[in-house]
Amino acid sequence: MKTDQPITLQVESGPRSRTVMASSRPRFKESGLLGVLLALGFLLTIFGGSLEERDRDTGSITTVNKFLRADNLGNLAKNTSFFAIMAVGATGVIITGGIDLSVGSIYCLAAVCGAMFLHYFGPQGPRAGASPFWVVPVAITICLGTGTFCGLLNGLGVVGLRVHPFVITLGTMAIYRGVAFVMTKAQSFTGFPAQFTDGLIRHPVNWHGASLYPVPLAIMAGVTVLAGWYLKHAVTGRHIFAVGGNEQASLFSGLPVNRIKLKVYAFSGFTAGVAAMIMLGYYGSASSDAGKGYELDVIAAAVVGGATLIGGRGTALGALLGALIIQMINNGIVILNVDQNYSQIIIGAVIVLAVLLDRINGTLREKRLARAAQTARETRQEIAS
Amino acid sequence: MSTEASIPAISFRGITKRFPGTVALQEVSFDVRPGACHALMGENGAGKSTLGKILAGIHQPDEGHFEIDGVVRRFRSPLEARRAGIGIVHQELSFCPNLSVAENICLSHLPNRAGRLDWQRLHLKAQACLDEIGAECDLREELGRLSAGQTQMVQIAATLAIGARIFIMDEPTSSLSAAESQRLEILIGQLRRRGATILYVSHRMDEIFRFCDTVTVLRDSRHVATMPLAGTDESELVRMMIGRTWQKLYPEHVERAPGPERLRVEELSSPGKFRQVSFSLCSGEVLGFAGLVGSGRSEIAMGIFGLDSGLTGRVFVDGQSVAVRSPGEAMAQGIGFVTEDRKRQGLVLGMECGENITLASMDRLNWRGIIRGADERNAISIFWEKLQVKAASAQVPAQTLSGGNQQKLVLAKWLARQCRILILDEPTRGVDVGAKAEIHRLIDELAAAGLAILLISSELPEVLNLSTRLIVMRNGRVAGMLNRAEATQERVMQLMAGCNLTGL
Repeated sequence: MKTDQPITLQVESGPRSRTVMASSRPRFKESGLLGVLLALGFLLTIFGGSLEERDRDTGSITTVNKFLRADNLGNLAKNTSFFAIMAVGATGVIITGGIDLSVGSIYCLAAVCGAMFLHYFGPQGPRAGASPFWVVPVAITICLGTGTFCGLLNGLGVVGLRVHPFVITLGTMAIYRGVAFVMTKAQSFTGFPAQFTDGLIRHPVNWHGASLYPVPLAIMAGVTVLAGWYLKHAVTGRHIFAVGGNEQASLFSGLPVNRIKLKVYAFSGFTAGVAAMIMLGYYGSASSDAGKGYELDVIAAAVVGGATLIGGRGTALGALLGALIIQMINNGIVILNVDQNYSQIIIGAVIVLAVLLDRINGTLREKRLARAAQTARETRQEIAS
Repeated sequence: MSTEASIPAISFRGITKRFPGTVALQEVSFDVRPGACHALMGENGAGKSTLGKILAGIHQPDEGHFEIDGVVRRFRSPLEARRAGIGIVHQELSFCPNLSVAENICLSHLPNRAGRLDWQRLHLKAQACLDEIGAECDLREELGRLSAGQTQMVQIAATLAIGARIFIMDEPTSSLSAAESQRLEILIGQLRRRGATILYVSHRMDEIFRFCDTVTVLRDSRHVATMPLAGTDESELVRMMIGRTWQKLYPEHVERAPGPERLRVEELSSPGKFRQVSFSLCSGEVLGFAGLVGSGRSEIAMGIFGLDSGLTGRVFVDGQSVAVRSPGEAMAQGIGFVTEDRKRQGLVLGMECGENITLASMDRLNWRGIIRGADERNAISIFWEKLQVKAASAQVPAQTLSGGNQQKLVLAKWLARQCRILILDEPTRGVDVGAKAEIHRLIDELAAAGLAILLISSELPEVLNLSTRLIVMRNGRVAGMLNRAEATQERVMQLMAGCNLTGL
């Protein structure tokens, strides 16, 4: 800024207008999803029936609800965590109007890289004696780094080659999985240091007689909260929405469009790396088959969570809730003893239904807005006359 | 109410239409005589286009209904309206740019034999429609390759192809040349002689009086009056449209001594766009750019703003030579650019109005990458009030605002950025009379406050009244540079069109 400018339009001073900012703050956007979630939980609790459970120590038999019992809920939460974390990353990409089909493959490649490293320094590996104090952090870095690097490559392809993200990530989806396959020679890797599995990711906590694993859950919550906060309060977060809403206008407003796109694809890869790390720690093994078809579950979670594929809309919390809804339906199919063969049909129908409900909800909100505007206008005219 | 004994061709009965955040139409009722050319006037956002779209089946009314030839009709889709003989010509409703001209003309009922496209009949039919309006274009050309004017002619031809009896023309001449506009006038006469009824939406007063016989004025989404044009004049219409007495469209010109030089370009060229353009722009000055569409005015603006990779020549800001390769670099030099097409290049329509205002100034409103919420709200409310944006609140999506208010948002975006050189490309295109006057006053105020303004406009009165100096472009070259005193409408038009101009 030069000092000689006499322009009177300074931003730093001036009264703050309440009339402009105070009215009609957007409501809690995910309220609809939360409602669906509660309704689902309610239905499963009522219709799921109960189960007789023998206490391991005393031998006494207690009746517990099939859905609403500690280990079922714990299992549900754990299953959700992988998808929710990746769905948060996918939401970022989808908000910019892009798509990432390679998350499942990145997840696999990151897991395989981490697994090979952990196996090498694990109890049965060639370098069994290594100190876990550096092996575990390095393994985590490998998982996250591989994920981020693969995502960055996607971003470079989208930005640099100017090819539609669908095509780029369709290609890398095959490439990354192929690399994982070649690296592992189609073998599965196990035998990780216990400090990484039971000591960290699979660290159990006893609660009402069931073993719960809070670490995946905590990571999921952390990723969601951070990403949600970032989308809302960081400059880059705002820019992500702007690029998805109107890329050309963003470019004409001087936004670093390419850098923003690189960031969202890298972040999507990063979340796949995080999910891979959790998977390694929880299951203690990985092969080049890991995460096959996950990309569609992840995109489904993001879309159920309110992200629109044309871009400009989506939230991190929505992605989490979307993933949770899909997992709850999976869970419900088991609990209600529905034939497993029907599960895909049900899930597919629910995805379409959820998006439809979201749109109906949006239309209703628009109608309300229109009516509110009309009343406001009429009052203004009355005051004027 | 119609005074004729005959049944009205169209009669609207209490039409109400709501959109998110706004009411587009409120209990609008009036009749259109058969065979009339009925003008529909009103400020932007008054609901003219919405009414046309309801008639064409694109929107459905929330309340009320309309009758065609005395029969209540309700169209659920544009196709149903087409089948009922209603054709619409609208700038934004373009056809399929990837298909040929002929296919576009006959799109709703392609001639076929058992599902196989009959190219011969298709071309004959399309050619007949084009001949009827006296338009010349290659039937096999892809529509997307035509100019805006030609596309519009193709649209008109397509309404003929469906055998329409009722034509809705929504600003059909906004991208037509003077000659094409004259051809349209003849065409409208022909259509009326064949018994067609025309609903004509336009901002251009001279056209309304030339083409039409009856006028309906809408204001604030309500019906104000329907009357024969013979008994009225321009000022009365304007008064009805804006609902208050006619105020000056242009601010009084005050002679100001120009400040220090802000921007100088020397021998700016870009292959195929413009050649050897040199000028300088001082603080407090409004440098007008006149010229026909395609004369290279907008391209120069793009070049200065870093959006032209083929640019050669030198650009100086505050006397320092600068290389601007991206909008970001241009903004770092204090340059702002209000683009021609606000919907595509100016605003993120799905985002809140406030977020649009601060979109370009995030680098000042953050602390280590985190938006400073209080500062942002403060900035928004300052410019919201300064520009008097009319909307429910700064948190409604930008797409719910009318054209004039959207344009104010774009201006606010660059003012919030505190740029020192502001390029305005058609700042009042598609903006209603009231907002236009406000924007003109604002341009003058900003220049008085020391901004250097480069004003590109196709509206001659606008450049003539607001500019301190004027550059006229022709075929990518500077055809002349005029001082305010020398710049008359005739002189500028001569320069714009070349010397062989006779009477326009």
